[in-house]
Amino acid sequence: MSPQVTDGDRRHPAFVSFVRGMRLGLPVFLGYLPIGAAFGVVAAAAGTGVAAAVSCSALVLAGAGQFIGLQLLKGGAGLATAILATTVINLRYVLFSATMAPHLRETPWYRQVLIAFTLTDETFAINITDSREGLSDDWSKIGVGFVSWVGWTAGTALGAAATALVGDPSRWGVDFALPAMFTALLVAQISEKRYAVVAVVAAASAIAMSTVLPGEWPVIAGAIGAATVGAVMYR
Amino acid sequence: MTVTPSLMWSLLIAMAVTNLVFRLGPIALLSRVHLPLPVERWLSFVPASVMAALVATEVLRPGGRWVVPWHNVYLFAALPTALVYWKTKSFLGATVTGMLAFLALRYFLG
Repeated sequence: MSPQVTDGDRRHPAFVSFVRGMRLGLPVFLGYLPIGAAFGVVAAAAGTGVAAAVSCSALVLAGAGQFIGLQLLKGGAGLATAILATTVINLRYVLFSATMAPHLRETPWYRQVLIAFTLTDETFAINITDSREGLSDDWSKIGVGFVSWVGWTAGTALGAAATALVGDPSRWGVDFALPAMFTALLVAQISEKRYAVVAVVAAASAIAMSTVLPGEWPVIAGAIGAATVGAVMYR
Repeated sequence: MTVTPSLMWSLLIAMAVTNLVFRLGPIALLSRVHLPLPVERWLSFVPASVMAALVATEVLRPGGRWVVPWHNVYLFAALPTALVYWKTKSFLGATVTGMLAFLALRYFLG
């Protein structure tokens, strides 16, 4: 079922979807550029060189994981410790990937690889919301992933190569780019009362757990707990 | 201490491999089978849970520290952001509004 191609629009449907995905992913791009730059600055200052810093962002595409791995190496922890810590932090992608899987049944393997390669908290949030609204397809997901990847990688290159030019990114209000995007995405999720109930449970338990658990764990634990409450309450 | 390029390369290759396994594994395996209904129902609650948990921690505890609510620029900036998304359904519009509100609030409150 390809969209109608009229005389006025000879663009390939896959291309139209890809461009639509890139537009959807623009808020992610906005948020990634400065954080990627921050990673580039920190990595270059630690001595990794520009090539390794940029390759890390281009191949790994993991915000917290990259920062923590670099921090551990800088602090003198061994390579094995850094690998173990980042593996645990990045385990959350298993949850996101499993949630995406039912939406990718008809997707050929090479597109699954492209979508999986660019799966982050942010691209997951955008694509799963778009899927729920029935608008998402393979190429729009790939477009979201591509523009996000460009933001993260280009940001790192900028930061690593031109620390002086970038200056302090926080003066542009970018500290709030990703929280703002997640706020909008949260509103988008609340399509029915049961999602609102689960959201309140997740928020309350994440906040409660953030007093005892470090890093991203309150989010993961709160989300898993609240999804379980939802699945039991609304069977 | 200095993180040499070769040390960084070792870490990044390990991270790239584990990340690809984590990201692609479930998609590649689970998209071929039909999951049991309770599991699918559980997964349907994951997005709302993740988003709510993220927003709650990022807005109420920005940078991992408690901020008194009436001095919390993140909290106040989240309100127009949510309103703009609710009215316009535009992620970009809501994000840009949030950033502008954040800048203005930080200027006046911070």
